[in-house]
Amino acid sequence: MIRLYNVSKRYGSIYALRDINLRVSKGEFCYITGPSGAGKTTLLKLLYGAIRPSEGKLLVGTHDVGKMKGKTLPLLRRNIGIVFQDFKLIPRRTVADNIALALEVLGTDRSTIRKRVSAVLSIVGLQGREDLYPQALSGGEQQRVAVARAIINDPSILLADEPTGNLDGVMAMEVMEILQAINLRGTTVLVATHDAALMQRFPYRKLSFRNARLESS
Amino acid sequence: MNASNLDFFRHIIRRSLRSIWENLYLNTVASGVIAASLLLLGVYVSTLLNLNSIVDTWNKDIHISAYFDSTLSEQDQLAMRDTIYAMPQTVEVRYVSQKEAYSWLTQRVEGIEDTLEELGENALPASLEITLQKEASTSVEIESFAESLRLQGFNELDYGVEWVEKFNAFLQLLQMLGILLGGLILVSATFLVTNTVHLVVYNRRHEMEIAKLVGASNSFIILPFLFEGIVQGLIGSLTAIAGLWIIHQTLAIRLQEAFLLDIVGKLHFLNTQQLLLLASIGVGLGFIAAFIASTRFLRKSP
Repeated sequence: MIRLYNVSKRYGSIYALRDINLRVSKGEFCYITGPSGAGKTTLLKLLYGAIRPSEGKLLVGTHDVGKMKGKTLPLLRRNIGIVFQDFKLIPRRTVADNIALALEVLGTDRSTIRKRVSAVLSIVGLQGREDLYPQALSGGEQQRVAVARAIINDPSILLADEPTGNLDGVMAMEVMEILQAINLRGTTVLVATHDAALMQRFPYRKLSFRNARLESS
Repeated sequence: MNASNLDFFRHIIRRSLRSIWENLYLNTVASGVIAASLLLLGVYVSTLLNLNSIVDTWNKDIHISAYFDSTLSEQDQLAMRDTIYAMPQTVEVRYVSQKEAYSWLTQRVEGIEDTLEELGENALPASLEITLQKEASTSVEIESFAESLRLQGFNELDYGVEWVEKFNAFLQLLQMLGILLGGLILVSATFLVTNTVHLVVYNRRHEMEIAKLVGASNSFIILPFLFEGIVQGLIGSLTAIAGLWIIHQTLAIRLQEAFLLDIVGKLHFLNTQQLLLLASIGVGLGFIAAFIASTRFLRKSP
């Protein structure tokens, strides 16, 4: 599903990632872990095409990310769900509208959107909250809305960058349980985190980064 | 167009209308800038067209007064009139007898009756009022025609074309300035509207970044702005046309009051084609400004 061959990313002479070789199979759940500045977020950005590798080859599904142009990038992103630490919800849009955005970009008709939004809201446990605005929800609920938006397209990969970073213990566990459930449905899940307790509670493969290098996988 | 494309465009239109509503102030400013620019342009073009129309009327009035030598008999004078009428440059030749000239002067100038009476009815020379073809109404042509009249025995000629020509030249200068001014107005308006639209883009950058992250194509990002730009241009154009109409009507009434003339009919408003052109410029302006502002965002956004 994800393959990296000697991938490096550098800004000038500074390496954000160096000589990474990695393989993540379809349906796997992996943690990307390591201290701040180790390269966790850089790896995620490379995977969803926000930045391109300086060296090496990066394959996501059938896409060679390094060779992708601006016009083909949306095709990659429609196959990847992304969850951020700061949720990245649109404050002026309702929960339903925030989630629907991922289907609107595909030109999905409104009745299908309504059905799919309702279905993903029940997966993340937010039925009946469609018409609320993000600011009316707790942090945990906002993160669940972000997860719902990320999975509404049935992506084959879900990337989560510190998804529990802004949440307290209980809410973090709830979000992790949802990610776990999504993984059980066959989606490859990569979670960047340095929360040791979380990794202990939900033990999966760890990709440990330090000083821009993959230390262990 | 398949159902998916139709739904895609429905989403675009919905997003545009929502954005117009949510950024009402900025959209009003953008439409206002377009309206003000087009109004300036429209006033300038209207003024030029009306001045041109006045000069056209004056051009039609240009004629030569050729005074006969008093020694010529009326029969000879009439024969000369016919010769001149037969010349290809002439449109009309009117014979003004000594009697007619005398009566014209007494009617127009008060208080000289006694003097004229002393001089008698033959005091003023008979003349020909010659109107030339429009193509022959330039100063060069008139001068050459006058020369041929002198050769035929006319010593005294009266024609005032130079000042009309100078006014024509002044109008041509105004037209050139108009093109320059119009260009400057349009460039400034594009710059101002682009910056206003850029503020709308900036206001929505967060939403657009998220849209890109969930796989939005460039057209999904840009099209709502282009639609917004077209709406801004259309509203701006209609406002400018309404403003022009109000100015035209007000000016016509004021002129009518001032000169007690039926100016309303004489003061021309822009015709349908010119109004459509003005509206197209407005829509084009909104479109180009939105295109520049939104593509600038896309270039910066990963």
